[in-house]
Amino acid sequence: MKKMWILVVLLIAAIGCGAEERAARADELAVGAKAPAFSLVNAVDGKKLEMKPTDGNLKVVVFTCNQCPYAKAFEPRIIELAKKFQNQGVRFYAIDPNDDSKYDVETLANMKARAQEKDYPFPYLKDGDSSVAHAYGARVTPHVFVVDGSGVIRYRGYVDDSAKPEDRKTTGLSDALMSLLNGRDVANGATNAFGCTIKWKS
Amino acid sequence: MRKFARFAVTFLSFAALHAHAADLRAMINPAEIASVFPVAAKLRVVNVWALWCAPCVAEIPDFRAMDAAFGSEVAFAGVNMDDMLPDASAKPVKAFLDKQKITYPNVYYKGNADSLGKYLNFNGSLPFTIVYDSKGKELWRQDGRIDREQMIAKLRDLLRRKS
Repeated sequence: MKKMWILVVLLIAAIGCGAEERAARADELAVGAKAPAFSLVNAVDGKKLEMKPTDGNLKVVVFTCNQCPYAKAFEPRIIELAKKFQNQGVRFYAIDPNDDSKYDVETLANMKARAQEKDYPFPYLKDGDSSVAHAYGARVTPHVFVVDGSGVIRYRGYVDDSAKPEDRKTTGLSDALMSLLNGRDVANGATNAFGCTIKWKS
Repeated sequence: MRKFARFAVTFLSFAALHAHAADLRAMINPAEIASVFPVAAKLRVVNVWALWCAPCVAEIPDFRAMDAAFGSEVAFAGVNMDDMLPDASAKPVKAFLDKQKITYPNVYYKGNADSLGKYLNFNGSLPFTIVYDSKGKELWRQDGRIDREQMIAKLRDLLRRKS
């Protein structure tokens, strides 16, 4: 019996260490890296949606959430950019990677309510075990990755360098999409995303 | 006598209200931050935080305790990022610092977020803490919430090496 308890304690310790190592390993994917595919539930209609990196389309993957004031401050800007660029064939995917077992505000029902209230022009996907955020190496919300039609990451970092339009010096996401749509390389492909730390599911 | 009592009550209320008035200074240029530190301090600690960041708020009492414990050898300063949000104001930040009885200086940063990130070389997630020596050389940094006991041990170790 005593041996069994020791085994249980060791097993719990091993699981704990694994979670820490996993978090520490999650490096932000670099420009030029292959974007991971994902298949996640869209909170708006409850259906699974698949993102195939090599589908030929330019794509924007935005890690965002319901609770972060900084992510919420960028929400109108992301909606504005999605409306503008979706007309030019760019696909937007908003992903909520926060742990909904600890934060009720991040449940599928609350995500759906927010998407409907703000009239999201893109799917709002639940990354329930934070695995997609880990795969991309997202750190914060909001954190943006632009993936080209062949599945290569061409931009990663912030939406803009400030949430306040009057303070903006660089419009990172918009500039990257404009360049790629015009067949040019992205001049400033890697920027420093700022925001709330992702509430990892562990 | 009644007049004196009224005066005493007014005086004591005023004194109580201002006993822990926080030192909050608005700044736009990241390079100005160093100016809040006293020259004599052997170590300078910069804690980047915001009211909207729960782990940041949770660790403020730890910084208050360390500030009290280390005296003048270690100087603490907060850099508040609330102004990154539209329609933000320094008022709730000041009220929070007053309530927390924070006496070390805090900067209400009004500049561009990315400029500060580049200046302090931090990856954008709050909270964030850096320890510098008196000449501004970085000695240690913590990404995310600090562990108070671990940080106290680190500061003691750094002080030992400086003396």
